[in-house]
Amino acid sequence: MLRKIAFSLLVVLLVGIFTISVFAAPEKSKLQTVLDRGYLIVGTGSVNVPWHFMDEKGELVGFDVEMARILAIGLFNDPTKVKFVEQSPDARIPNLLTDKVDIVIQFMTISANRAQQVSFSIPYYTEGIGLILPAGGKYKNYEEMVAAKKNGKTITIAMLQNVDAAENVQTILKGAVDALYETQGLVYQAINSGRADAGAVDLSSILWLASKEPEKYLDSGFSFSPQLYGAAMRPDDQIWINFVNTVFEVSMCGNQYKLYNDAYAKWFGVELPAPKIGKPAMYR
Amino acid sequence: MIYYFSFRVIQNNIGDMINGLGLGLFIAVISLFFGIILGLIAAFAAVSSNRALNNIATWYTAFFRNTPLLVLIYIAYFGLPEVGIMMERNASFIFTLSFYAGAYMTEVFRAGLQAIPKGIIEAGQTIGLNRFHICWNIQLPIMFRYVLPSMSNYLISLFKDTSLAASITVPELTYFARKLNVETFRVFEAWLTAAFLYIVTCYLMAYLLRKLERKLRIEW
Repeated sequence: MLRKIAFSLLVVLLVGIFTISVFAAPEKSKLQTVLDRGYLIVGTGSVNVPWHFMDEKGELVGFDVEMARILAIGLFNDPTKVKFVEQSPDARIPNLLTDKVDIVIQFMTISANRAQQVSFSIPYYTEGIGLILPAGGKYKNYEEMVAAKKNGKTITIAMLQNVDAAENVQTILKGAVDALYETQGLVYQAINSGRADAGAVDLSSILWLASKEPEKYLDSGFSFSPQLYGAAMRPDDQIWINFVNTVFEVSMCGNQYKLYNDAYAKWFGVELPAPKIGKPAMYR
Repeated sequence: MIYYFSFRVIQNNIGDMINGLGLGLFIAVISLFFGIILGLIAAFAAVSSNRALNNIATWYTAFFRNTPLLVLIYIAYFGLPEVGIMMERNASFIFTLSFYAGAYMTEVFRAGLQAIPKGIIEAGQTIGLNRFHICWNIQLPIMFRYVLPSMSNYLISLFKDTSLAASITVPELTYFARKLNVETFRVFEAWLTAAFLYIVTCYLMAYLLRKLERKLRIEW
């Protein structure tokens, strides 16, 4: 009797699953979900100038924040329709895959390894890695560090724990000791407290900090490793991916170019020219 | 969305993770050793009739037991160098964890000392033992056998606390799990493997420590 009941329940369950899978409505695209919700949820950080950081008023600002607002304009014609979820770099992919955020715009390097887990937008910036020095530290520039290393001194370079971080430190200065931290903020703390002789960080951050706080930081003059930054999205939603790419394309090379150019001038201090008429700029 | 597991990355990095596990165990044992010394000093100060010593012991335990361990780690690692005290990262973490463990051991030892029947101490005084010999030959051996279960539990807890060392780049298990995660984005594989290694190690530690407790238990 019990076996008959169990068998009947199993049949009902299987029929139910089959019915739901065949007749269920197709999963809504993230684009529709965001439009229905009325605001965008963006994962980003809060401790990296000039990408995403807190200004004196305690508001989240930076170039990644501007890209998020450009996306909000594309969705709702309103740059304020965006909610930010602050996250550490190692939470970028998990938060995306578990739907805590709609998109990650957090100076994320496009790489093949990452592209196995997430989909990237078209790149919105090309970054390089530079070396930041403490202004009152042992070395005034990169050449002095190289000379010190040749003379047998131990040089410690702090860096964000990231893809190829250890190899990058060796490329910067062979034989240097790497100190790989969880967040960029800790990298700066390591430099400030003397735990590291230098920090390998984004060149854009170095240029910002050296100009805003010259009594604390120096640009060593060294830079390398061009890398593309893109926004990350879940890979199973081509409609959302296409939409984001369209918004970015139009803001960098189309009729919304002023949005991108103004943000670029504000955070990198460089005035970009308007896109030329004729062959689209991205194919020149 | 379906997540596709691939434990190949674990296979390629298991050596680092096991080494990290070993370092974590070493740090926990060394920190508990120093914590025991600090705890004993503070426990005797806490039960002493000297008010000043009582207050010092009270402030020590209050500070370290009420401050989150991560905050203490950052104070020692990033803060102390600003006042000229620079320790290597492993030493900095062991230093912090030892003081942290000492604060907890203070309370454990204080309770253990107060649980020793007064008659035993009076018996020692009767046969002419001085204060030092009463402490060394009577109080401490009995106290340690009383508090061994608490110390064992705390060692296991301290071992799990070593995961916070990753925040100051100490290359223990959590550090390598996070490194694996950021390099390969195999979130589940990296963290599930780390969790598994912690669980197995803690279970083994608990088993061995229970055997030791049974062997040393005082049968009155």
